[in-house]
Amino acid sequence: MKYSFLAYFLLLFPIISAAQNATVTGTLRDSQNGETLIGATVQAPGLGKGNASNEYGFYSLTLPEGKDSILLRFAYIGYQTLNLNVLPKGSVNLNIELIPVGAMLEEVVIEANGLDEKRRSTEMSVSTISTRDVKALPALFGETDIIKILQLKPGITPGAEGTTGLFVRGGNNDQNLIVLDEAVVYNANHLFGFFSTFNSDAVKDLKVYKGGFPAQYGGRLSSVIDVRMKEGNSKKLSGTGGIGSISSRLTLEGPIQKNKSSFIISGRRTYADVITEAINQSNKDNPDFNKIPRYYFYDLNTKVNFTLSPKDRLYLSGYFGRDVFTFKDPTFDFRFDWGNATGSARWNHTFGPKLFSNTTFTYSDYRYEIANQLQGFSFTLGSNVKDANTKVDFYWQPNNTHTVRFGGNITYHDFITARLKAGSDDGQVRFESGQDFQGWEYGAYVADEWAFKRMKLNYGLRLSMWQNSPAFYANLEPRIAANYEVNKRLSIKASYARMNQYVHLLASSGLSLPTDIWYPSTTGVKPEISDQIAIGTSYLLGNQILVTWEAWYKLLQNSVDLKDGAQLFGNDDLEQELTIGRGYAYSPIELEIEKKEGRLTGWIGYTLAWVKRGDFPEIDNGTWFSPRFDTRHNISVVALWDALKWKKKGKGKSLQLTATWVYSSGYQTWLPGGRFSFQDVPGAPFQPVVPYYGPRNTFRYPAYTRADLGIVYKWKRINRFENDLTLSLFNATNRRNPYFITIAVETAETPVGEVPIGIKAKQVSLFPILPSLTWNFKF
Amino acid sequence: MKLNILKFLLPVAVIFVLTACNLSKVIEIELPEYEPQPVVEFYLEPGKPFRMLLTRSYAFFDNLGLDSTFLQNTLIDGALVMVTYNGKTDTLKNQLTADFNPIKIFNYVGQQIVPATPGTEFLLNIRLAEGTEITATTKMLSVVPIDSVVIEFSADIDTLARAITYISDDLTQKNYYRRLLNYNSLDSFPDQDFVLTDQLSQTKTIAFGTGYELAVGDTVFNTIFHVSEEYYDFIESVQLAVAGNLNPFAQPSPIKSNVQGSANPIGIFAPLVFFRDTTIVTR
Repeated sequence: MKYSFLAYFLLLFPIISAAQNATVTGTLRDSQNGETLIGATVQAPGLGKGNASNEYGFYSLTLPEGKDSILLRFAYIGYQTLNLNVLPKGSVNLNIELIPVGAMLEEVVIEANGLDEKRRSTEMSVSTISTRDVKALPALFGETDIIKILQLKPGITPGAEGTTGLFVRGGNNDQNLIVLDEAVVYNANHLFGFFSTFNSDAVKDLKVYKGGFPAQYGGRLSSVIDVRMKEGNSKKLSGTGGIGSISSRLTLEGPIQKNKSSFIISGRRTYADVITEAINQSNKDNPDFNKIPRYYFYDLNTKVNFTLSPKDRLYLSGYFGRDVFTFKDPTFDFRFDWGNATGSARWNHTFGPKLFSNTTFTYSDYRYEIANQLQGFSFTLGSNVKDANTKVDFYWQPNNTHTVRFGGNITYHDFITARLKAGSDDGQVRFESGQDFQGWEYGAYVADEWAFKRMKLNYGLRLSMWQNSPAFYANLEPRIAANYEVNKRLSIKASYARMNQYVHLLASSGLSLPTDIWYPSTTGVKPEISDQIAIGTSYLLGNQILVTWEAWYKLLQNSVDLKDGAQLFGNDDLEQELTIGRGYAYSPIELEIEKKEGRLTGWIGYTLAWVKRGDFPEIDNGTWFSPRFDTRHNISVVALWDALKWKKKGKGKSLQLTATWVYSSGYQTWLPGGRFSFQDVPGAPFQPVVPYYGPRNTFRYPAYTRADLGIVYKWKRINRFENDLTLSLFNATNRRNPYFITIAVETAETPVGEVPIGIKAKQVSLFPILPSLTWNFKF
Repeated sequence: MKLNILKFLLPVAVIFVLTACNLSKVIEIELPEYEPQPVVEFYLEPGKPFRMLLTRSYAFFDNLGLDSTFLQNTLIDGALVMVTYNGKTDTLKNQLTADFNPIKIFNYVGQQIVPATPGTEFLLNIRLAEGTEITATTKMLSVVPIDSVVIEFSADIDTLARAITYISDDLTQKNYYRRLLNYNSLDSFPDQDFVLTDQLSQTKTIAFGTGYELAVGDTVFNTIFHVSEEYYDFIESVQLAVAGNLNPFAQPSPIKSNVQGSANPIGIFAPLVFFRDTTIVTR
């Protein structure tokens, strides 16, 4: 079956002829800071031809050679459209800089071709988030977070309230491939998931694939979240920053050599520990004072890029972030820290007007360590996952009807799982546990986007392999996506993608904790597999509104879960704590209405979905159950409104009102059906109530609703200095949403000990209304 | 090895924040249907008669008033209870008895004394009044004595001391232990209560410590139970079930019992062998 598919696939590749054509090629950039523009369009309206820039801003458009000039139109959302006449002869190199709307001296009409381009693309199940929107929208404690904005997109269910967990189309939280400048980020969380690791000042944009995965991506089942860092202003030295209630940020960027090379360095740090340390210090002589533990997190992003030649560009970028929790007194020295480090080196090379390559080396490291020192004894527990990856991607555009991508990658994985060391300093007592693994992951792919008449077809094949001796797996992953343009407003789309996942997150709860453990595929733990099929339509309503409907079905095989009562720490054989099963999810309606231009922008999303897991022999004897995030209805409304605009000679001040509203059916949860009294052995206390848990997740929390409001007021610019105040009202209606439910027991003493006299269910909420104020500046 | 720090810090932090904001409220919910089950607690303590507590479980929201009917409602009477070992069978009487200091009650008591010989196999058969059955098996274990309890005073705060308890483990076999630490009274809430295996131990010596929290004159009750694998699983599951109801970060667990049968029971049938050391802190 696989071989016949392969033969069919190869036959589909057309013979590409070399006709008398001219090629216009180049890079699209922002005129203000030199940042490359991803997904900007270049069109020849008179010929009905067009294309879009790739993730490095590179574009290529083939035109029939002639003596008459041809009108080319360059466009990107948020930028003034540029029309240029070009003589189509030979190879034309045309690097274009587009002017952002905010920098224009006068109001101009912006053509909303971005949404139309999205409608006509074979890509489906895709969302792009720009940091421009992220910074304006209201946020918890005023900490703008691109991952939390992503949670507002249809098909994506958030984790617990306020956290950055992502459950995409019925997938688990670990089934998201999160890459920062192509380096994998294994744990994109700070403070137990309340904030993500992505500093909005350093991020250019984010693109998420929920299905219809292009062949160049692999390794996770449910989504690809591609985060791109800014490249740095290549025109002038500039800076941005902000002071908020939780953290402060500062970013500096500028040219190293004007228009040829640039740098960006961005940092963020929380400062609650500065206050708590001051309180501790002022109470150091107070014997009744309980010292407050110290906690902080920080991020550092850096990037430099160099234009080595007209055909070569080099990018070096890095990220380092840590959360640190410490508690120290004369008899106790406790430290718990965790975080990621990533590094990327990328070399773009243009072989000619039709062939572009990107060669990447990435390094990722996620680790946590818990350490405690007591006189004469010490304890450490930690896990670590490291990747070193080499990847090469080619982007070949032989003509306007074909765009071919091919490439491959090799990744070396190194895992240390739950390494425990405890004992006495003299070595008389020693405990140790933990396992080390090494694995090699290989990928090779080829894909072609073929446009003919009203049809666009993107078909590809990925071969992925995993080696963790003695385990070896090789899997073919077919990918196909099609777009049929019914008319100038309506497109019908469909896609199918198979994905394999060779690393698995062992999480003891539905929440993202830093102590969750990444575990490789072995002979006993086979690669997880997903097959997803989606169909949908995109309809352009007027010029500014795109209505997208999709329906999808996802099948999961070899799903990994923990057995009931699994112990992840101090365990030398984690595999015996795992159980393997299956899952599925489907949605007949995943709807998005988005508007990206005009004074009012935003989107409305609605998802109706079902999610199930089952066939795990050690969970409820294999019966099927709903996972925690199986929420039936999800609605989100996001609105950004430029309430007032004063634009005068570029010294604009503005007032922007923003709002988000979300509704979600309640999470599934596992509550006990019964209880019993437990006397226990001598010396142990009588327990009047021990909960008895039956089948998993049979109770649904009350529905979740939250409205957030924001106001961004931007002052008149003084020289080069711009600043704004952002007021956020998180949970503006002060609604008490359920965070968890506990069954509380009132007890009383009797001759046989404590016995229960009353039992009540209590809903515990996390966040009341939370106002916050952030001052942002830019120069 | 139980990680008390992890399990303690997260829920404490959450509960602190939530309590500070007064963000909890009583709600009405409907729990899944639940049929009451018999609950067996049968510990074989060498040198003592065979004794068992047989109770019933309740649906979580069943009203259980504090009145004279509590014991009557909770205890299951009228069962035929037999323990077979070494070719002998002891039939337990349905009779309410109690130990004091600490208080423990039993509603079935045998005539014979539990033998201490390690490796002795025991078979439990219970027939409830309505005809359903419960069975279980277990094996006697040896006592693992405490080698020493060392009191050390802090170098920084010389009025505070800690107690370090040492035992010798048999590395040739997989052993399971439960550690209980009570201060001043065995009826007090234990300062430490956890189960562990020796499979991580690289040395023959295993040490159990306390924080620097003891003062001169304090009494420290150190108890090391040598337990079966089934008991270890059962206690772990009880602790996880309790934590799962209180802590949003904890994954609940079904109860892992070693009793089975048509009565659909919950519970444990296990040896109760332990070594207890009582130390008064002196300088």
